[in-house]
Amino acid sequence: MRNIDDIDAITRGLARVEPGQPGGRPSDAGARTLLASITAEEPGPSAARPRGRRLRRPVLALAGAGLLAAGIVVGPSLLRSGVSPSYAVTRDSDGVVYVRVRDFRDAAGLSKQLKELDVPAVVDHAPAGTWCREPRGTHVQDIPAGLYSVPESIPGEESARGWQMRIDTKLFKPGQTFVWTIGEKATSTILMSGPVAPCVLVPDESHEPKEYTSDYRLATTKGRSLSGFRVDEKTVGEVLPELRRRGLKVTYVVMAIPPGNPGGYGELRTQDTVGDDWIVWEAEELIRDPRRVRLLVTDRRYDSNPVYGGPRDSLIEE
Amino acid sequence: MDDARARFEIVYRETYGRITAYTVRRCASPQDAADVVAETFAIAWRRIGELPDGEEAALWLYGVARKVLANHRRGEFRRQARNVRLDTEMADLYGASPDSGVELRAIAQIFQSLSDDDRELLSLVAWEGLDRQEIAVVLGLSRNAVRVRLHRARRRFARALAEADVRFTSESRLIPAERQL
Repeated sequence: MRNIDDIDAITRGLARVEPGQPGGRPSDAGARTLLASITAEEPGPSAARPRGRRLRRPVLALAGAGLLAAGIVVGPSLLRSGVSPSYAVTRDSDGVVYVRVRDFRDAAGLSKQLKELDVPAVVDHAPAGTWCREPRGTHVQDIPAGLYSVPESIPGEESARGWQMRIDTKLFKPGQTFVWTIGEKATSTILMSGPVAPCVLVPDESHEPKEYTSDYRLATTKGRSLSGFRVDEKTVGEVLPELRRRGLKVTYVVMAIPPGNPGGYGELRTQDTVGDDWIVWEAEELIRDPRRVRLLVTDRRYDSNPVYGGPRDSLIEE
Repeated sequence: MDDARARFEIVYRETYGRITAYTVRRCASPQDAADVVAETFAIAWRRIGELPDGEEAALWLYGVARKVLANHRRGEFRRQARNVRLDTEMADLYGASPDSGVELRAIAQIFQSLSDDDRELLSLVAWEGLDRQEIAVVLGLSRNAVRVRLHRARRRFARALAEADVRFTSESRLIPAERQL
């Protein structure tokens, strides 16, 4: 059997364009003609989506807000029953740790596994109706992008209640600790720096998903104030004229989108005005006064509607 | 809109050399290569919202080019308007190919007998110089799956070479077998 280097050397010898060498040059006439002919057409639909630097800021701001959003995302999957009691924590050679949680009570077990893999983490379990007394330490504000992913379903076990997340241990700074609190119905993951106080359980209902008794309801469905008018994925400037025509009073809910926009959102704040180029994802009306409508908005376009975790049509039939 | 155009032009400039090399290494003719390059970048423009920035862009484009190639082989293909200069530029790359001696042809035949998946893995390592993590991104696999599959692909190629009795010296100079292949 030949060794790897031999095999790769043999394969390299077969390359038409020598490995490591570029093929064509973008400055050549044919390449420039191609570029011109491609960009002569209109780009794809999400071209307006801002990129790069502008994209990162809201994500960081959100992470700094203590990952409330992650709690929201995890919540529903924790409500399902059926326990397969285990944690799995694996570590790549490049320092990326994958944590899979299937049991939500054995915090000590998870803590131990994380410690063995050099993840600076504290894990506590908070029984129903309780939470660790806060504050427990200093929240890190500038969380590096990519430090962790929001929890997502375990591949192949999408219908089960477990979830997994990815943590890049290389991105921890000295003295930082991941502080997890795993409740019955929500999990919070907060990056802290310096000493972290031990968890003292106190009565606390605020981390439990509430019975959803909103004062608002969907406005864009039959018989409601925006019946027959779709607002999702339009800009504020595009929907305002119709809202005015119908004589509705408008406020805006600025949505907090978790990193990677996995579906689901938090509410950052309510405003009376936003830019005309902001994106509307849904409209709700005040139940006791349907003339008052609030638009769920973000300051930029995302590739899928955070309210529905995809296109509205996949969830709401007209 | 102009933002999108500026962004696309940057990605185009940065990745054109690599994407054309990738394509030329895998297409039988310059015209096919020109078609695949054109369609790959046309798709990137249509899906500019998904096109990542920086190094990730090249990996994403490799993934697109790979699918375009597969469609091309199946005959499901949007034919581009002929860009004669592009055809010529691609043809130049074919002209500069390494010497196609008997030994290399023998090895190439054995390489061609491997499955598409094996060939692609071996090529992404040896031709494009990607590491496992990058290959994982291009192929949409886990790093571990790449590691396992790459190991198997190398083993299969080695075995096929051994069965064909192709030997080589310590400098990896390729020496054909005595018998006809």
